[in-house]
Amino acid sequence: MGKRSATCKFPVARIKKIMQADEDVGKVAQATPVLISKALELFMASIVEETVKETRKRGARKMSPYHVKRTVHENDTFDFLKDIVAKVADPVEGGSEAAGDNRGGKRRKTGKKESDDSE
Amino acid sequence: MSDDERPLGSSGADDELSLPKATVQKLIHDMLPDDISCAKDTRDLLIECCVEFIHLLSSEANDVCEKDSKKTIAPEHVVKALTDLGFEKFVDEVKDVLKDHKQQQKEREKKTSRMEQSGMTEEELQRQQELLFAASKARFDAAN
Repeated sequence: MGKRSATCKFPVARIKKIMQADEDVGKVAQATPVLISKALELFMASIVEETVKETRKRGARKMSPYHVKRTVHENDTFDFLKDIVAKVADPVEGGSEAAGDNRGGKRRKTGKKESDDSE
Repeated sequence: MSDDERPLGSSGADDELSLPKATVQKLIHDMLPDDISCAKDTRDLLIECCVEFIHLLSSEANDVCEKDSKKTIAPEHVVKALTDLGFEKFVDEVKDVLKDHKQQQKEREKKTSRMEQSGMTEEELQRQQELLFAASKARFDAAN
């Protein structure tokens, strides 16, 4: 695996701003957002890879938000994303939202409501 | 360097901060195999996930920083935070980036000291620069 150069990165200043949106975060060393940019890249790779698996599992060719949701629920490390993906609708039987790539298979039991009381 | 509140055109809502779509799009595109594509909604969702990841990582790194009795979040804190959050597989590459960055910083410092070591005073350097400008201007005029 070739080492990718750090040219395709996220904007460092933007990352710093996002960090400091948190009141607890005070000063940030110059190198820190640079590292976070890299970590972000790796994170994207990780979640995209897992989502692609979901997409393929369902015989689809386009990654839909629902596949991301499934990935989040199947991986503990992506736990923190549960709230973000919660708003993604589960494909309904015969629904056209998922661009027709759901074959109306198993309907998920929606009785699983986990209110996450973090802290 | 104080953090002054500058009106950014929006009502200063930091929650609207996001990442540039084009960068994310390109990144996703590079990662995808040839037979899979990404819906626009999915890309937007992934952007939100990224921002959330930054918040998570910052928060954790901040905790590490406080336990370290420091006031500035250092790269080392981020590395520890990654491990704490279960992303230890990222640690190696992230450490590489840190090494590169430090290297670049050293080279930058070398350049400034090189200027001091060139043996020319600032005036002489400035004059040299002006000569260079005049020369390139003359070339430009000639081309016109």
